[in-house]
Amino acid sequence: MSPTRFASEHKWIYLGAIVVLLAFVVIGLVNYETVKKTNEATDKANQLADAAVDAGYPRPDTDTVVRALGTDGGIVCENPGGALKSALWKINVSNGAAFVGQRPVVGDTRALRAEAKIIEIYCPQKLDDFRDRLDDLDTDDTVRR
Amino acid sequence: MASMDVPADRQPPAAAEKTRAAVVDAPRLTWLTLALMTTASVASLRAAPTMAVYGLACVFLYLVPAIVFLLPTALVSAELASGWNGGVYRWVSEGLSKPLGFLAVWCQFAMTIFYYPSLLAFVASTLAYIIDPSLASSGLYTAIVIMVLYWTGVWVSSRGTKALAGLSSWGLVIGTLVPGTILVVLGMVFLAQGNPSAAPMTASHLLPQWTGLASLVLIVNNFLSYSGMEMNAVHVSSLKNPAKEYPKSMFLAMALVLLIFILPALAISWVVPADQTSLTAGVMQAFDSFFAYFHIGWMTPIAAVMLISASLAGMLTWLAGPSKGLLEISRSEGYLPPFLQRLNRFGVQQNILVTQGVVTTVIALGYAFIPNVSSVYWIFSTITTQVYLIVYLLMFVAAMRLRKNQPDHPRGYRVPALNVLCTVGLLASAAAMVIGFVPPSQFGGGSVWSYVLIIGCGLGILGLLIPWAFLRFRKPDWQTEAAREEAGA
Repeated sequence: MSPTRFASEHKWIYLGAIVVLLAFVVIGLVNYETVKKTNEATDKANQLADAAVDAGYPRPDTDTVVRALGTDGGIVCENPGGALKSALWKINVSNGAAFVGQRPVVGDTRALRAEAKIIEIYCPQKLDDFRDRLDDLDTDDTVRR
Repeated sequence: MASMDVPADRQPPAAAEKTRAAVVDAPRLTWLTLALMTTASVASLRAAPTMAVYGLACVFLYLVPAIVFLLPTALVSAELASGWNGGVYRWVSEGLSKPLGFLAVWCQFAMTIFYYPSLLAFVASTLAYIIDPSLASSGLYTAIVIMVLYWTGVWVSSRGTKALAGLSSWGLVIGTLVPGTILVVLGMVFLAQGNPSAAPMTASHLLPQWTGLASLVLIVNNFLSYSGMEMNAVHVSSLKNPAKEYPKSMFLAMALVLLIFILPALAISWVVPADQTSLTAGVMQAFDSFFAYFHIGWMTPIAAVMLISASLAGMLTWLAGPSKGLLEISRSEGYLPPFLQRLNRFGVQQNILVTQGVVTTVIALGYAFIPNVSSVYWIFSTITTQVYLIVYLLMFVAAMRLRKNQPDHPRGYRVPALNVLCTVGLLASAAAMVIGFVPPSQFGGGSVWSYVLIIGCGLGILGLLIPWAFLRFRKPDWQTEAAREEAGA
């Protein structure tokens, strides 16, 4: 990159972008809550680990599950069946493109239903709405296990 | 505003001189900056959790498309850009015809209109993760974020190529290269600690599961992961020595894109079991699980900010590239009304950007506030990628024609076996277009023929009917004075 870029007339645009991004980093760190390891969180993590083993996966580290999902499922349980959230994950059931080449594919059945298991354990009251969305999908076993 | 609204050839002499100078004296870019811009428009970590689900097979899913699509696209565009300035519109104009050159750049431009709302909705949801996750379900919040970010992007783009070149290349470094390296190093640490990989890494897992049509759809659609490699060729005249430097920037971009796509996806698949890399729970949940293993969950909001910066960097390159190509052919041939040909004082196609912005705004508001629109928005991803494939079909044919008809035209780089590469690229693009008519998961149990009809109509209207209407109804006086003089000379 040109060494003179920051001396250019656009310096303040770059500085503005840096300030905004740093502000979001600070907000993110302040808002970040460390999940406390409680009996309830451990019980739920064990349930999820058992479900993974039943589904044929290696048993995940329950401490990691506790840290990621806590007692309430974290972001997984934030309105999983909502219109905008569903729209986003529907767009993301796609190929490996990151930008304009993104295109929907036939998703893997188990990978698409993985979240349902988390919701069933952590926020079962939201499961029906989410299942309704899932049931609309036509899936296949595209992941080799 | 005054100088922004006046076509260069109708401005007072001094202003016109200034505007032309801004266009002629294009800001200098280094080949490294252009390589980073190209990488920023194609690759980011956003796709990593999605592909991590496939485990070791993600290597196959990226390498095969790299051979049949990335390599032809990158090498052929390297040869073309080393011989002709201006990007895809110029190559197709020279190789086939000017109306087809307009069609090519129109398709490259029009498809992005539908892309921005979904990209910015992703940014809005990632931002919500940082501020308050419940915001992700709010239509008002999503609409505000899309509007603010999109119009800020338009404003930055309208300040000239140099402003966006800096932001997009730094966005790639901060938003993709740094976090990507962190993911890969942590993944290696995980394995070095003696932990077994969460996804099986045996030779038999190198190939994806074969289930017939669904697997074919997955493999062929992945060709499109490399869409956009040629897009930044429109800035080739900003290089000091385009003939030598553009091919160099393409080779570096190719290597970076492959590394960014493959290694972080593999690293996630080593650490996070596939049942926790849910395809539906979102990108941040996968990063959360990854960092949770290493007891550095606080890294997740930082990674979110990094992902946002990479997404916005990519958006900036897409705002500036195709619209510039559309302007250049429209100015020389009078394919667009004079209003859309006007430049601002930085020599940027501000009115095209603003008009595109108005259309994008309407679509984005529909996405944010009308559930029926958002729930079927994925269909636009298919239609727009189909439209983009027209560009590649035209580009490969034009490259073969140019090699045949203008073999002695000076080129800084001549790709070996061009016809073979173009044929492979052409077949890959045609295959991707055919597969685009196969209904994906989201279409559920709907009728195949109704899906084919929807995609076919979308492709016909956006990719053929609208550009045809511009060509059919254009007026002679749409061609600028300067372009007429150039044509006469």
